[in-house]
Amino acid sequence: MSDIFVRFWGVRGSIPTPGPRTRRYGGNTSCVEVRVGDTLMVFDAGTGMRELGVHLLKARQKELTVHLFLSHPHWDHIQGFPFFGPAYVNTTTMYVYGPKGDDKNYQLLSGQMANAYFPVRFADLGANIVARSFAGNTVKAGEVKVKSFGQKHPGGSVGFRVEHGDKSVVFATDSELDQLLTDPDIVKREPESLRELPDDLVAAVKGADLLIADAQYTDTEYTQKVGWGHPRATTVVDLAVQAQVRQLALSHHDPMHSDRDVDLMVLECQERAESHGVELEVFGAREGITLKV
Amino acid sequence: MARETVEFEDFHTQVAVRVKGFRPVVQRPHLLEGKAGPAIGQKFVLDANELILGRGDKATLPLDSEEVSRQHAKLTRNEGEYTIEDLGSRNGIVLNGLKVHSAILRDGDQVQLGDVVLAYREGT
Repeated sequence: MSDIFVRFWGVRGSIPTPGPRTRRYGGNTSCVEVRVGDTLMVFDAGTGMRELGVHLLKARQKELTVHLFLSHPHWDHIQGFPFFGPAYVNTTTMYVYGPKGDDKNYQLLSGQMANAYFPVRFADLGANIVARSFAGNTVKAGEVKVKSFGQKHPGGSVGFRVEHGDKSVVFATDSELDQLLTDPDIVKREPESLRELPDDLVAAVKGADLLIADAQYTDTEYTQKVGWGHPRATTVVDLAVQAQVRQLALSHHDPMHSDRDVDLMVLECQERAESHGVELEVFGAREGITLKV
Repeated sequence: MARETVEFEDFHTQVAVRVKGFRPVVQRPHLLEGKAGPAIGQKFVLDANELILGRGDKATLPLDSEEVSRQHAKLTRNEGEYTIEDLGSRNGIVLNGLKVHSAILRDGDQVQLGDVVLAYREGT
């Protein structure tokens, strides 16, 4: 049974933030490569997707098949697509997945290449780009099973669970968990206590070897950003604890957060996991690292 | 028209010498410094496009430890940055406490191979 390899190409939220203060974690927006044997899956098409394209073209594969899953079509999750080199090559096949009977993702991905926004037309791309739908909430990319689940975000967003053998990876970005708490007042009343989340969400993440999750805000910041579609990082820890996740990658870093700020959030989240008495490995998702799950 | 250029080994690029606001500087190489274990106090200058870390004869960056595999990890230089990649070693690569398969290294990173701990220092 093949291992699952996960590589982070973009871990920033909202807008690219290049520069010295974000150099270690990286400034590109959401894009994660998940590879199982010859099956290449890409989760989100943020600006990190450009570098992924450069990397893939260097490998000079005769033919390339890319399974592209979009959490949702907000800018920071689609902006890298027009700069994805393999999309210009006629030996590439790309499957763009969306909910059954809804090709909105495909339409918006191509729509951002309208002449007013971008000089090259979607129709002029060399690759064979095909819209595909989930049947129910599951699809097969090659031999790999991918499940989808709904999340709380303005306009909606989708999380994905990749399963292969007894291993699983969950990609769950742009999800305002704090709007889903079964007891929202607990955060003020008992901030240290476990914040319970709905059973269906916990089930979707249950037992994941790796959870890659939106963890954009500190507790203090969140009070000013309620309804913006992103959670308290500490609440993400509580989801991982309830779902008995093995590793938690905090991602979708806020553009205002420097590397040092992200370090401090990771520390706070590690302490919270310890306070719940579980063995959960928490780290900050960082561009350019590959994990073997 | 031929232009006078200076080539930067690390960045695989050429820059015209007379570009306003640009002054060529002497490049300092990236380093790995031994912080714990058998390599403590050692400094390894990273001066090749590819280096093999290990305890075997084929290692170009030798580490004298039984906890290090013969060919433990590979360092590859790409546009001035080094990527470290596990070559199927027994004890893997731990980057700042996190087990990774590969990583682009950044200044200050601590890389652990078995009982060898190395700090990565970026040059200029």
